[in-house]
Amino acid sequence: MSKSKKKWLMPLTLLLSASMLLSACGGNKEESAGNGGGTAEKPVELIWYTIGTPQKDVDKVEAEINKYTAEKIGVTVDMKMIDFGDYNQKMQVMAASGEPMDILFTSSWAFDYVQNARKGAFMELDDLIETHGQGIKDAIDPAFLEGSKVDGHNYAIPANKELPAQEAWRFNKNLLDKYNLDISNVKSMESLEPLLKTIKENEPNVVPLAISKDFGPLLPFDYIIEKMPMAVYLDDKDDLKVVNFLEMPETMETLKLMNKFYKAGYISPEAATTTSTQDLMTSGNWFADRAATQPFADNLWSQSYGYPVVSTPAGDANIFNWSVMGSMQAISANSKYPEKAMDFLNLLNTDVYLRNLVDSGIEGVHYKKLSENVMENLPESKNYDMPTFALGNVMLTYLNPEDPENKWEEFKKFNESGKPAPLLGFNFDPSKVSTELAAVNNVKEEFWAPLMTGTVNPEEFLPKANQKLKAAGLDKIIAEAQSQIDAWKASK
Amino acid sequence: MRAIGQFFKNLMTNKAMLFMVLPGTLWFLLFSYLPMFGTIIAFKEYRFSRDGFWASIVNSKWVGLQNFKFLFSTNDAYIITRNTVLYNFVFIILGLVLSVALAIVLSEIVNKKLAKVYQTGMFLPYFLSWVIVGYFAFSFLSMDKGMLNQILGWFGMEPVQWYSEAKYWPIFLTLISLWKSVGYNSVVYLAAIMGIDKSLYEAAMIDGANKWQQIKAITLPMLKPLMTILTLLAIGKIFYADFGLFYQVPRDSGTLYSVTNVIDTYVYRGLKTTGEIGMSTAAGLYQSVVGFILVMVSNYIVRKYDKENALF
Amino acid sequence: MFKSKSKMKDFHQLSSGWNVVFNLIAGIFSFLCVFPFLFVMIISFTDEGALARNGYQIWPEKWSLEAYKYVFQTGDTLLRSYGVTIFVTVVGTLISLFIISLYAYAISRKGFRYRNFFAFFAFFTMLFNGGLVPTYIVATQLLHLKDSIWALILPLALNAFYIMILRTFYSTSVPDAIIESGKIDGASEFKIFYKLVLPLSLPGLATIGLFSTLGYWNDWFNALLYIDDPNLVPLQSMLMRIETSMQFILQNSQNSSLSMTALQSMPQDTSRMAMVVLATGPIILAYPFFQRYFIQGLTIGAVKE
Repeated sequence: MSKSKKKWLMPLTLLLSASMLLSACGGNKEESAGNGGGTAEKPVELIWYTIGTPQKDVDKVEAEINKYTAEKIGVTVDMKMIDFGDYNQKMQVMAASGEPMDILFTSSWAFDYVQNARKGAFMELDDLIETHGQGIKDAIDPAFLEGSKVDGHNYAIPANKELPAQEAWRFNKNLLDKYNLDISNVKSMESLEPLLKTIKENEPNVVPLAISKDFGPLLPFDYIIEKMPMAVYLDDKDDLKVVNFLEMPETMETLKLMNKFYKAGYISPEAATTTSTQDLMTSGNWFADRAATQPFADNLWSQSYGYPVVSTPAGDANIFNWSVMGSMQAISANSKYPEKAMDFLNLLNTDVYLRNLVDSGIEGVHYKKLSENVMENLPESKNYDMPTFALGNVMLTYLNPEDPENKWEEFKKFNESGKPAPLLGFNFDPSKVSTELAAVNNVKEEFWAPLMTGTVNPEEFLPKANQKLKAAGLDKIIAEAQSQIDAWKASK
Repeated sequence: MRAIGQFFKNLMTNKAMLFMVLPGTLWFLLFSYLPMFGTIIAFKEYRFSRDGFWASIVNSKWVGLQNFKFLFSTNDAYIITRNTVLYNFVFIILGLVLSVALAIVLSEIVNKKLAKVYQTGMFLPYFLSWVIVGYFAFSFLSMDKGMLNQILGWFGMEPVQWYSEAKYWPIFLTLISLWKSVGYNSVVYLAAIMGIDKSLYEAAMIDGANKWQQIKAITLPMLKPLMTILTLLAIGKIFYADFGLFYQVPRDSGTLYSVTNVIDTYVYRGLKTTGEIGMSTAAGLYQSVVGFILVMVSNYIVRKYDKENALF
Repeated sequence: MFKSKSKMKDFHQLSSGWNVVFNLIAGIFSFLCVFPFLFVMIISFTDEGALARNGYQIWPEKWSLEAYKYVFQTGDTLLRSYGVTIFVTVVGTLISLFIISLYAYAISRKGFRYRNFFAFFAFFTMLFNGGLVPTYIVATQLLHLKDSIWALILPLALNAFYIMILRTFYSTSVPDAIIESGKIDGASEFKIFYKLVLPLSLPGLATIGLFSTLGYWNDWFNALLYIDDPNLVPLQSMLMRIETSMQFILQNSQNSSLSMTALQSMPQDTSRMAMVVLATGPIILAYPFFQRYFIQGLTIGAVKE
């Protein structure tokens, strides 16, 4: 460092730290401007945290939203997008520290709805829905509100979308056509075998069954916690007996079959540590895999891969807790304007203009309308590309030109076809067994992927896993779950 | 009264030094000591309260040592503690030897331009996140496309399923950890070597000492204070493991857990479903307390033999 | 004088045989460190389809600039992130050097009555911290740092580890005699520090400066916690966000709407590697600035004069 540089270094840092202190002291406490209120002239501002990759044009669209909502319900929103991977951690810290917020996204897979409702992060909404959310009750399938109750109360507004979860076998249609294979009879894993065999024999470069470490063969259970050993049989609607499904004969049979597939080379040797099959999808070097489906999924898949993909159901459409809670908006427990927040959620779930504004941006800028309910993205839409399913009632959104006219009717039919799983509406409270859960979780992670992908021989490893799970305290968790389920059953 | 008077007198005589530590002290108070009150969560079943954090803490139920139990409740407790401590022990020793050796090598290279180039290169691993290091490890160790198996193939050997063979991983993890950190750590020693008074070497040369004797008699003793401090500080972290190294690099492969599960990964996996912040705080507190005790003991030993080089 | 010095230098030099060995050791290790990074660059220039078919290849079947086109399509977002990162790194390093050098100097002085107390005061924070939530509360509710550039600077400004290292540098490379001589000349403590001690400890300061620069450059976590405003997101944070979001989506693919939404927007391998190249490139260029203080070194005699 030269001398002249040194001269300004010290004053500069002093100046900077002083300016920082000033900015820290000033510029706060502008709130406390009285609550209630919220008129078109003096709207209240709601802070809204939602999930998804932050988009460039959020501010622009937000201004449009605010024009509309200020006029209509005396509300403006400050929309803050947090990317998928950060959402859990960030919201956990913010909720725990009492950060001011009004509306926030929650679900079974991001910022866990049930747990956080129990921990007190959300406001209980039963009365608010009656007084300020009547529109919601009419607009969305009642099964959503019913299925998302925690201990008998609603803590969030679910998005109206597909209700059940259904798994499907997907196929690379080019290969199906090449070998003239028929998938109309495929449903169980056994029925898949002859097809995989053909491919294995003729296409050495193709992975016959593309799976990653998160794969789990379809087994007839409803899990108390997703991917944990405690479960009840799907058809056990009366007794609701909690079992360790890894001890059940069906599991052993299925895993043996997986192991057979693995040994036959139908599965990639690295499946147990593969996080993604995306490479195979891009290159097209796969024949079959399994994925969660919804109406018209084939079109979507074919579009995004650039080659035809077809699918056939691998199981029934079941309504699970987690599928009902796939996308919800909650009101924060520390919200200053809960009524206004509910007004906003009500509008978001019922108002076609607002819903599409939030979802697709500004008409004429981000999209153009082709007809009453069909729109086409404009080039600018790359600056405002939102996750549609995470922003309230999906069935109000405009269709894309490729979408079939009856898209939402098919969704409604799909929802009606769903069979409620036995534990639908029951939510396990793990607080009494959190020590055991931590230990069981570790054992489960150790054995899960190797077993489920067929990488190891289940006759040797299943007993090992069960023994370790027992030692970690699985029986205590099962007993606790059983007593909670019994109490829940009795209260129904 | 007199004691207080003496105290103020002491303050006055040390006033310049006290001024120097003032900004740092303020920072420590704000960013380190103030948040430490939050450690109470470790003894609570934390529940949110709409009136903010302090209200939440006050209203949450005391659970005593319940939150610590999951760290000790199963056989895994032994494995994760063993793994964490053993790996760190190896990393500390090998890291120290290699960093110092590399610093000496770099300082002795005649062509300084080349030395600069080498040194710049050694820094690059520091910039690669563990996720990306994990990709590379995979491109070497993958079953069908990996380079290591291809090399084995040239020698007519059977390919190995690296990601399910636990016995190789202690070596892999050690190599990767050293690869990533040695270049970075050697900078400190290199800088220290540069700070050594050159006249010492001149005197040694006049006495006829050769290069090795100079290194042994001058360089290493001059580096000793730094080596001692850095090792003491590393001992404090011996219960902490680098999460990315033990989670991303082995691709979270279950069959490797016996040699890759460490305290940090155990806590992460254990709390994934419940997300109890009381339990994660408890785990952190446990790691800190053990580290603290270890440092105090080692510092005491260092003090006994070599008061100058102790931490305090 | 000059003559004897150059002769001394020859004496001091390594014999050419050992020089070759040392060059080999350093060269090979350095190559092992550079190689993966070169690999990252190659992958970033690989065609996406070729990558999916063949995996990572040192000489790809097909080259492509697509990844960079994809990354640059965000245009000003990327530039702004560079701006944020550079500002935070420069200002942050200056601030932390200022605080750390003073603190470390004070506790290195044997005459300072409270040196042990303040050494312990700093050391203690290395091991104990309040955890995420309390720290977040102090930063947001007491200091109001949320969505401020200072949230990226202040939390990293100080680090007890650096203080301990620098203290050791002071006490080994600054002889007591120099400080005493300054005192005899009647210089104030600050003047002694500024005029006599700092120039002697340049290698140490450069080390800490370098560590702190790298720390700021590589930091993403503070942005994750404190920054909601997309205009204040630094480079590494952008990169990390893409990585973690991708992993998250893959783990939750059982959710059909999530997996279908994400299918289209998931960034490809090559563009992620391009991000790594763009996020690392500039800092490598900054490195030689610090390096001259390590390689050249300083002779204590030179300063004495």
